[in-house]
Amino acid sequence: MLYREVGQFKTSYAADQAIFPISQDRWLALAALAAAYLVIPAIGSEYWLLTIMVPFLVYALAALGLNLLTGYAGQVSLGTGGFMAVGAFATYKLTTAFPELNILFALLLAGIITALVGVLFGFPSLRIKGFYLAVATLAAQFFLIWMFNKFPWFYNYSASGVISAPPRAVFGRVFVTGAEADPRARYLFVLTVVVLLALAAKGLVRGRIGRAWMAIRDMDVAAEIIGIRPLRSKLLAFALSSFYCGIAGAMWAFIYTSAVEASAFEIDRSFQILFMIIIGGLGSILGSFLGAAFIVLLPILLDNAPRLAGFEMPVNLVSNLQSMVFGALIIFFLIVEPNGLARLWVIGKEKLRLWPFPH
Amino acid sequence: MKRIGDPVLAADRITLIFGGITALNQISLEIRDHEILAMIGPNGAGKTSMLNVINGFYHPQSGSITWKGESRRHMRPYQAAAQGIARTFQNVALFRGMTTLDNIMTGRLLRMRRNFLWQALYFGPAEKEELAHRAYVEQIIDFLEIQSIRKTPVGRLPYGLQKRVELGRALAMEPELLLLDEPMAGMNVEEKEDMCRFILDINDEFGTTIALIEHDMGVVMDISDRVIVLDYGRKIADGPPDEVRANPEVVAAYLGEPDQGEVRAPPAAQRHSVAM
Amino acid sequence: MDVLAAVFVTPFANMWGNPEFVVEVIIGGLLSGVMYSLVALGFVLIYKASGVFNFAQGTMVLFAALTFVGLIEHGLPIWAAFLIAIAVVILLAVAIERLVLRPLVNQEQIILFMATIGLAFFLEGFGQLVWGGDVHPLDIGIPKAPLIIGGVLVNEFDLVAAAVAGSLVAALALFFQHTAVGRALRAVADDHQAAQSVGIPLRSIWVIVWSVAGVVGLVAGIMWGSRLGVQFSISLVALKALPVLILGGFTSVPGAIVGGLIIGVGEKLAEVFWGPAFGGAIEDWFAYALALAFLLFRPHGLFGERIIERV
Repeated sequence: MLYREVGQFKTSYAADQAIFPISQDRWLALAALAAAYLVIPAIGSEYWLLTIMVPFLVYALAALGLNLLTGYAGQVSLGTGGFMAVGAFATYKLTTAFPELNILFALLLAGIITALVGVLFGFPSLRIKGFYLAVATLAAQFFLIWMFNKFPWFYNYSASGVISAPPRAVFGRVFVTGAEADPRARYLFVLTVVVLLALAAKGLVRGRIGRAWMAIRDMDVAAEIIGIRPLRSKLLAFALSSFYCGIAGAMWAFIYTSAVEASAFEIDRSFQILFMIIIGGLGSILGSFLGAAFIVLLPILLDNAPRLAGFEMPVNLVSNLQSMVFGALIIFFLIVEPNGLARLWVIGKEKLRLWPFPH
Repeated sequence: MKRIGDPVLAADRITLIFGGITALNQISLEIRDHEILAMIGPNGAGKTSMLNVINGFYHPQSGSITWKGESRRHMRPYQAAAQGIARTFQNVALFRGMTTLDNIMTGRLLRMRRNFLWQALYFGPAEKEELAHRAYVEQIIDFLEIQSIRKTPVGRLPYGLQKRVELGRALAMEPELLLLDEPMAGMNVEEKEDMCRFILDINDEFGTTIALIEHDMGVVMDISDRVIVLDYGRKIADGPPDEVRANPEVVAAYLGEPDQGEVRAPPAAQRHSVAM
Repeated sequence: MDVLAAVFVTPFANMWGNPEFVVEVIIGGLLSGVMYSLVALGFVLIYKASGVFNFAQGTMVLFAALTFVGLIEHGLPIWAAFLIAIAVVILLAVAIERLVLRPLVNQEQIILFMATIGLAFFLEGFGQLVWGGDVHPLDIGIPKAPLIIGGVLVNEFDLVAAAVAGSLVAALALFFQHTAVGRALRAVADDHQAAQSVGIPLRSIWVIVWSVAGVVGLVAGIMWGSRLGVQFSISLVALKALPVLILGGFTSVPGAIVGGLIIGVGEKLAEVFWGPAFGGAIEDWFAYALALAFLLFRPHGLFGERIIERV
């Protein structure tokens, strides 16, 4: 009863195709944006902002990128970590080589570089499908991480091998990276980038590109008969997905951890992000966010639960339990709702049409 | 009175062999502008293979296809699509994850031009293009009377409706040649009548040339201008429906005797089902 | 210029100059390839019979090995530990069939694949929870003395491993081709619904297959564990089995063997002769690159079945 669409008539196709055709959804989205921009910076502690909100947003962006490739275009990829690393290192090289370069441009360029790398590793996708492609992307993952570890040029021949992200500011004064950056500035920067890219992603999947991808995903043999050129479409998917993952990786290194290290982007990271989109919902923009939130919050929950319940648990016990819970949840979700949290959300809204009435 | 024009598509001695089986054996045929051509024959005769060759899915070992004046051995399916050939499939090749509307909209993909940057922005040229195509697709939805299932994921639709949606997707491509593979399989009488009406209307209003594979002889006699009969990869008849109906070779291979005084089990080699 | 020489000239020059060494490297590679094959074998079994690409195979190897080692560390004799480990593996197969496979029986392959990823995580956490995360050295008395055969240095251990793998493969091949159960397995691998409709009990078949794969995994785990100690990195080794499967095709037992050997040899050769030019550790990614190269020419592997897509 709270969620009735009664009385909401669409009188134009434009209205019908809006992102939030139902006005309750629109209000909810606006409220969420308002909360994100106004409420959270005001009341959020540094801990909240830097260890929960920023990683959540960065993960969400990476999940979005992977979802475009795997959820919409149906190309399974286990190379997300590697592409994030490309973005991080590209940004590092750009910002150290061009100190005057604005961080936003650095991010954009790094994204483009990652997109090109993604296209390169995406070429096999025309001949190779399904799991075989997943294994091919593993080649990308292992090779890229090896490369960033092996060649000192990438970390500017630094002796210690630990490189920290140089400080950069937007608008000339507000630092978003480096030690002086205010947590709120960091958070708002990441938030803005992610919101803009999410809107762009929504635009992409709403229109002809999203449809072409879904056609390839659903039946790529038949997709050709309506004139889709599979290689072009798949390469575009790899390019755009890598663009998103590259920027996510750059922000991970520059804004979240303030360190540029290949070990942050190993195969585990790829799996983590894959889990996010499975749990959140393949082929759903909202799902990418929900999945990211879930996986960011779960370890925190598991860390704190024993304490809240009154007893201490040793650290490695916690991490093993986390693995078990993750694994079990993946299986659970796949059994119960293969379409993830996003679908549960939709079902929940449908139930709200009636609630609190029984029928 | 319909004006049937010159041949728009000609197949010249097409031979197609799969691992030992000759699916098509030196078949030559032509399809004329504005006509409705029916292809009939027993199962395994090569009818679907012929469509697949025209459409670019199968590449024949020899022979050539001439479409709009250009001769070639084979083309890729997306080239066929770009040149005005659309088709439907025996087993309904719809995109199950998408709604009816989205599926039909995919038929408009060839005509959507805006690059990915405009698409990402959405508002502006991409949206205008999207809405213009949406308007066209809605016309097709009206024409096929499927408004109520517009937003239903096609995987949930009954078979007959799926076939209709697939027809809609083919129509959205504004094809010059429409290849239909058993468009009425699995339908009841009413549904068949609806489909016939749609096919005739498409041919009439848009002048689309239609080639269809069909097993229902009633439908074939009613709507087609010309019938081609295939048997074991060879063409055994080609002409107006009445002529073909009476052709003794066709009767022996496929149709069976029209009036039988006693009920006899047909010899094993001719056990075909005939829906009348 | 240096790079070009390092890739195209020096390695071959080195090989030419040290033929016995090359043979040693190749033999070393073959024998480590045998180990890969053992792991890949488990994959193939499961894929052949349940159509599932079991990403958790590596973790199952680890889990089985951990169980075995843990029991030995608690003082049990080897044969007892082995039998109990087998029992645990069978229990695991039953649990997997019940909790994972049955609920997902008609889902697409990609969903099942992702479920096995979840399974892998679960088993890894569980295994380490029960047995701890340290390295467990394992010695069950396999001789490890180096031998010189025909002028080439070989390790007895590797020979034993090869013999074990060989017997396993022979046994499995016989099993698949000549028993009723084997035939049922092949039917199930082809088409679940058709197999059910002729009365093949899908569930029992799956339990059998996953148990057999588990036992193969146990053997693989024991062999690897004897060599490296039983530890987490074994499941990474299993990731290495993926390129093996790509080369060999997912449904072929001989393919798994040949694929393993090729990857083993290729990796060793690359590491020894090309590695130094690039600072080493080429092994990290070489197998995948090799697999990728193969895939480009034969998208279904050397022995895999070509799937013809009909529209």
